[in-house]
Amino acid sequence: MDRRVILDELKKVLSPYTENKELLANIDDNTNLVKDLKINSANLVDIIIDAEAKYSIEIDFDSAEKIITVGNCIDAIGEKIK
Amino acid sequence: MRTAAHWNKVASTGNDIVALAATDKERTSRYRFYSRILSAEEQTLYAQQEARTRLAFDHYVWLLWSIKESVYKYSSRIDREPVFSPLKIPVRRLDPPSDDEFYKGIALYGPDTLYSRSIIRNGVIVTVVSSDKDFIDTRWGFTPIGSSSYADQSAAVRSLALNELYAIFPGTNLRIEKTGSGFPVLLGGETLLDIPLSLAHHDRFVAYSFRLPSNNCAYKKSAAN
Repeated sequence: MDRRVILDELKKVLSPYTENKELLANIDDNTNLVKDLKINSANLVDIIIDAEAKYSIEIDFDSAEKIITVGNCIDAIGEKIK
Repeated sequence: MRTAAHWNKVASTGNDIVALAATDKERTSRYRFYSRILSAEEQTLYAQQEARTRLAFDHYVWLLWSIKESVYKYSSRIDREPVFSPLKIPVRRLDPPSDDEFYKGIALYGPDTLYSRSIIRNGVIVTVVSSDKDFIDTRWGFTPIGSSSYADQSAAVRSLALNELYAIFPGTNLRIEKTGSGFPVLLGGETLLDIPLSLAHHDRFVAYSFRLPSNNCAYKKSAAN
């Protein structure tokens, strides 16, 4: 699946946990989930589980711990839906 | 800017706060969720200690989360490229409150052993960690606030921490900034102070911790810059 398509879907996954929707609309691969989007770290597990449910995939622990940026998220999802 | 080796020498601090009303009890109790936070050993620890700790399972999950997050924040000042992987920060021991109100734990981060103290009160879990099991030079606190917006949380937690610092260093000119690595630092005038600081917020609660130098009189002068 094209990274842009995953990015658009990922914005919907991140939306409930992101206060600044304008910032969310303009995210790219380099956007840091905690530092830039100000997502509370307590919601990081929620995001992984929501992404798993959305794509019917399972993101393993090793991939999950590398999810720091939006690009990492897209990589983890893209790898599983190849 | 101070190096990681410098911060390692002056020790560190790490804290976290979890507003239980902002968590999903049902989701937290699902294996798919809690297995990303608790190792098999920590799940066994709960079963063994449930009677002693009298903790609901979802509270246990978030208590251990807050310990692990605090350890990560403690370590991020020293290890500039830390990865927050809850399963790689084992909590080896958790004792319920006895003659005080603290849950006391022991957690590991690589070769380092850190001690935790947590309070569960008024719908929040507040944790601080230290390399000193007696927390002699550590100060920490939390407060509810009227808003859950990021801007209000950020302003409130800085105000809370600075008020506590001014009580120790009256008449000084202190301010808090964030480094490029993301952790907060304390400045006295333009001088970076060796007082590691950690800030946390969740929903309508904020918390701070800082660690004073062993002889904090020596710091009153530099803080006055």
